[in-house]
Amino acid sequence: MIGNRNRAILEFVLDNLVWFLLVFMLALFSMTVPNFFQMGIFVNILESSTMVGVMAIGLAIVIIAGHMDLSVESVAALSAMVTGILFCSHGIGIGWTLTPEWLALPVSLAIALAVGGIIGALNGLLVVRLKMDAFIVTLASYIWVRGLVVAISGGRSAQDLTPSIRFIGIDTFMGIPIIAWIAIAGFAVFTFIMGKTPFGRHITMIGGNQAATFRAGIAVDKLIWISFILAGAIAGFAGWLLAIRTSGASAGLGVGMLFQAFAAVVIGGVSLKGGVGKLPGVYAGVLLLHSIQTAINLMGMPAHYTQMILGSLVLAAVLLDTIKITIRQKLT
Amino acid sequence: MNRIRRLLIASIALTALGVAAPAFAASKGTIYYMVPTLLDEFQTESVAAIEKFVKDVGYDVVTLNADNKTDLQQSQMNDTILLKPAAIILAAVDFNALKPGIEKARAAGIPVMEFDRQITATPSDFTSVAGTIEIGQVAAGEIQRLLKEKKGEVKGKILQVLGDPADPYSLDIQKGFEDKMKAFPNVKIISLPAMAWEASNAGTIVSDQMVANPDIDLIFLHAAHLSVAAVAALEAKGKKPGDVMMISSNGAPVGLDLIRKGWLNVEVEQPLYAQAAAIAMFADKVVNKQEIKAGSYKVLGLDATVTIEKWGPNIKIPGAAIVKSNVDEPRFWGNLKAPSDKITPVE
Repeated sequence: MIGNRNRAILEFVLDNLVWFLLVFMLALFSMTVPNFFQMGIFVNILESSTMVGVMAIGLAIVIIAGHMDLSVESVAALSAMVTGILFCSHGIGIGWTLTPEWLALPVSLAIALAVGGIIGALNGLLVVRLKMDAFIVTLASYIWVRGLVVAISGGRSAQDLTPSIRFIGIDTFMGIPIIAWIAIAGFAVFTFIMGKTPFGRHITMIGGNQAATFRAGIAVDKLIWISFILAGAIAGFAGWLLAIRTSGASAGLGVGMLFQAFAAVVIGGVSLKGGVGKLPGVYAGVLLLHSIQTAINLMGMPAHYTQMILGSLVLAAVLLDTIKITIRQKLT
Repeated sequence: MNRIRRLLIASIALTALGVAAPAFAASKGTIYYMVPTLLDEFQTESVAAIEKFVKDVGYDVVTLNADNKTDLQQSQMNDTILLKPAAIILAAVDFNALKPGIEKARAAGIPVMEFDRQITATPSDFTSVAGTIEIGQVAAGEIQRLLKEKKGEVKGKILQVLGDPADPYSLDIQKGFEDKMKAFPNVKIISLPAMAWEASNAGTIVSDQMVANPDIDLIFLHAAHLSVAAVAALEAKGKKPGDVMMISSNGAPVGLDLIRKGWLNVEVEQPLYAQAAAIAMFADKVVNKQEIKAGSYKVLGLDATVTIEKWGPNIKIPGAAIVKSNVDEPRFWGNLKAPSDKITPVE
């Protein structure tokens, strides 16, 4: 038998396992990887994880709702390319200037969100109204949206983002890049929305048991649709940040991020079956992935190993999740 | 009355088509260009150049994009063979995986020309390359010069940002570069790949390395679009143009812009237009299965050498080093001023 206090500790550890894993890995890397233990590297991890982190928020919401969105990477690329074409001054950028200049920031953000939101709405429409499988619908979007990026760019790049937007990728606040603060704020806001608002609770309920949630009088279809729109708009936001970080966009921008976002979501404890998962865990998953990538960068290990390590990590996360469930069952 | 008018118009249209038919028949046939991807500017511009130059010498061109997928390109090859084109121009995704496809095409009587990516494992009918290993060697020469100018001798720390670690194109550049740098033991090279040639991956590598190794003297990136993200990462670290020397390869427009702004010291160009023009110049000989003679040729004004290798006739057009003083020359494809003169086939 286990006492109440020990049970509470065990529950806490199980709930935050990925955070403990992150701390353990950071400590391990700090002790074993030359030059890892310094503020600049930790800041880099926060900064480089921003885009995948933001993308993972939307992806996690859809997965918690019991669905799938494979289009987020391409949506981010499209939004980055649209931002690049409109607000870059070189390459294929048309250098659109607004008066006053600061307007470029909200206008570009609104366009990026709209681009993502529209594709998300289309995905949601096909899933909710036409009852098509989300996996297939978003897989198709993943392909055609990337095709659209190539088509509108002609395979060329846009560069030199206007300084009135670019400062977000350069300036810092309290020693941490603004872009990293944006990811932290994003996770804080959506953690609140998912945990403390009826919308978040209903999304989790839908993912857990859609039929029961429907019988409880909750507008299931509408909420699923909203989750797709949100995932699209958030992916658009991630693309906007990506364009800011790289000061432009190329047709291949963001390739591979879908896998990273998925890995982070799974490592973060979100069940692919829906109904289970919390966003702070996802953020820890993103930070864990990027810590490993940074460690590999510093070790000078060939990138082939990154893929192997990330794949193993995802597998380990799923195994841990299974062990967690077994332990919880024994606790009850 | 209306019916008669409609019949009359239809007859005139049919007659016009009949008259026009010989004009279409003037084409010498269709040549398929298999481009590995459209996600980088070199490949995108290669499509425009090859389509223009090969049409100049009388062929229709159809381009197929393999999206960087070897299996897709293999399927495209198999499908194209069934269409019996006049020839296939192949820029292989994977240098070796397309070997069976090349052999199959040639066995079916369809000549295969290699563009940009040299395949030595099996014979083909013509190869037009700048030489990926040579690009690495040219870069090494420029890097030696830059280090000597800065430090009085060839020494220091170099960050080499490769493309995708599965892409032989990048691995060949690395080989050419590192072989040439072996003679300089005081140069430390840190080599890291940007997975999937994705720009932000290159940015992350540069960010991490500038923290871990702030004494990096020079960054060598295997593609110009990677240098854009590298510059953004340097800017975010408070660096200014010239603080860290940079060199990249392929000569894309973004790279030339970065030279003008002072961020990039050198861009090693792949002579895209000349490589594409060489394909067009020799297309008739390849299609008609005529002998291609070894020797020196002028391709768009550049000196090129044809050698007969065990994998077939091979034209090599050396890449040039683009620096601030010559960056605006129209011969560099990154300035996107494709030669307007018609290509003349080799007699």
